[in-house]
Amino acid sequence: MRPTAAAALLAALAVAALLAQQLWSVGAIALVLLCACLRAGRRARPYLWGTLFSAGFVFLLSPLVQSTGWHVLWSGPNVPVLGQLDVTTEELRIAGLNALRLAAVGLAFAAYALLLDHDRLIAASTGRRSVLAAALATRLVPTFERDAGGLVEALRGRGLAPEGLRGHAALLSPLLAGSLERGINLAEAMEARGFGRAGRTRLPSPPWSALDVGAVTLAALVVVGALWL
Amino acid sequence: MALAVVEDLTFSYPDAAPALDRVSLEIEPGEVVLVLGPSGSGKSTLVRALAGLVPWFHGGRFAGRVEVVGHDTRRARPAELAGVVATVFQDPEDQIVLAQVEAEVAFGLENVGTPPAAILPRVGRALDAVGAAHLAGRRVVELSGGELQRVCLASALALEPRLLLLDEPTSQLDPDGAEAFLERAVASGAAVVVSEQRPAAALRHADRVLFLDRGRIVLDAPRDEAVAWLDEHRPAWTTPAPSNTVLQGTAGEMVARVGGARFAYGGGPEVLGGASLELRCGEVVALTGPNGCGKTTLAKIAAGLLEAQGGTVERAGRAAFLLQDPGRYLVRETALDEVALGAGVERGRRALEDVGLAWAERTHPRDLSSGERERLALATVLVTEPDLLVLDEPTRGVDPERKAELAALLRAQAARRATLVVTHDVVFAQEAADREVSLGAEREALAVVA
Repeated sequence: MRPTAAAALLAALAVAALLAQQLWSVGAIALVLLCACLRAGRRARPYLWGTLFSAGFVFLLSPLVQSTGWHVLWSGPNVPVLGQLDVTTEELRIAGLNALRLAAVGLAFAAYALLLDHDRLIAASTGRRSVLAAALATRLVPTFERDAGGLVEALRGRGLAPEGLRGHAALLSPLLAGSLERGINLAEAMEARGFGRAGRTRLPSPPWSALDVGAVTLAALVVVGALWL
Repeated sequence: MALAVVEDLTFSYPDAAPALDRVSLEIEPGEVVLVLGPSGSGKSTLVRALAGLVPWFHGGRFAGRVEVVGHDTRRARPAELAGVVATVFQDPEDQIVLAQVEAEVAFGLENVGTPPAAILPRVGRALDAVGAAHLAGRRVVELSGGELQRVCLASALALEPRLLLLDEPTSQLDPDGAEAFLERAVASGAAVVVSEQRPAAALRHADRVLFLDRGRIVLDAPRDEAVAWLDEHRPAWTTPAPSNTVLQGTAGEMVARVGGARFAYGGGPEVLGGASLELRCGEVVALTGPNGCGKTTLAKIAAGLLEAQGGTVERAGRAAFLLQDPGRYLVRETALDEVALGAGVERGRRALEDVGLAWAERTHPRDLSSGERERLALATVLVTEPDLLVLDEPTRGVDPERKAELAALLRAQAARRATLVVTHDVVFAQEAADREVSLGAEREALAVVA
């Protein structure tokens, strides 16, 4: 399948997850996307952990800051600014729905980052500069993971393995500095190869297949269908 | 008529001393010019000036004139010179833009407006010219350093440039790979300007040699004349004849012993299929072999950074490991803080002196040149005073005079520990090591005790 069709399908699933109101339908979308991500094997791990952490955070926090529903499951203290801390059945349902929506969007991005051929996506795009920027940004997570692994390995080689959250947090600054430096080097190489010059052309792309047309049609149906779910 | 003219060029990066000082030269079509000089002498800046990246990309104070194929670089942006000029930088990972090899090689062709129907044939020809046609459909993340470097050269050659600029392009390649790389670059027919720290292979291909020192050209001569000058004035830059004299350290207690080690990364193909190595206190061992044969993996197993998946590993004492990328050792705000991390300020100062960086105590590590960073990284592991010191390609980006100093330092400290040096640098291995262990294509360690 061509990456534009796959990207359209992933975007449609993310939009459908945001539009749908039923827990089961959003859950089903998240499950489909999870299965797609798992095809990437070990490379999917940082994305899955990130998505799980974000969705879990939303699920745990949002019932405490909402005031919805009558079926109180737990009643807590009165906290300044936030008011009465309590958890109702309705709040849990809303928190679950929002957490699943966030998970679905996160998994759609993960599938985009892990499974699509970004080069062909750039080649097919009319907004080449913005798509190239997006494609380079997509590489940020695996590049960060590799650089962080390298920093930790170098410290281990000096007998200084970082310990705990604080030890690892101290690596953030060098990690960012290294990324900035790499970004400057890459920008220089791109300029030297004519990026930004007027009159650019494109590598010819293959014609649309029946699978590509089917995927785009399915994407449209998923979005329309989500309005009823 | 000259292809490129540099006239009285003086350039300073922002808030810095001149990197180039009244440099003048002309480059003729098809000429191969080798640029030599110590770290920080202005080689990379000269290459960037010819590509128009200086001053357009870097800013700074620019005086004089650089004209490439009739384009004055003060008026023509680097992107406008692309196609006429092509550049290959030192680190392939910092210049790869796209994820797939074919698209990566096509990137420059698309930018310069090559007719779409001509793009794929030119990509194919360029990959073929560098012996990388089989990589066309591969993802760049799957490639080794040597393969990446060939893809970078293919990306440059696909543009069919008239001036090819190579900034230390063979620093990650084994001697055969470096030779093949330069042969392919020269065979393109373009004028080639190549800056190098390992001059042996490049000297064989050069028509003319420039030697830069503190931003000035101190030698501009045909190759044979230049070799004679180097022999007399900079002997470290000419390769000594292979020597049968072997430095014999006094091998003492066993520090690490790896027997029949096997290893594969993430369920992939086996990188090591039964490699063995023994390291004793007092000896310096060079671990050599072609790109991708598993040298780094074996060294990491010896140092305890990786666990072997088969075979036996014995270790006595503490190990320290210097990785290939010195950027991974830059986690503090000054060079002294960096080295003193976990070892104390006094020991840190001594380690900086040992590697010739005492002057950089208060310098931010990221303000150092690549060769200086390599030496700083070396200081961060030397300061730990390990029983086993493992150095993975410690001479990358380091000039021959500094390499000779490093070899002398390792020799001087040899009695304190076992030292394993993973290297492609044959000259350095000869200078520094008591014996050489060559990891061959069959991926078994063959101990060659000369």
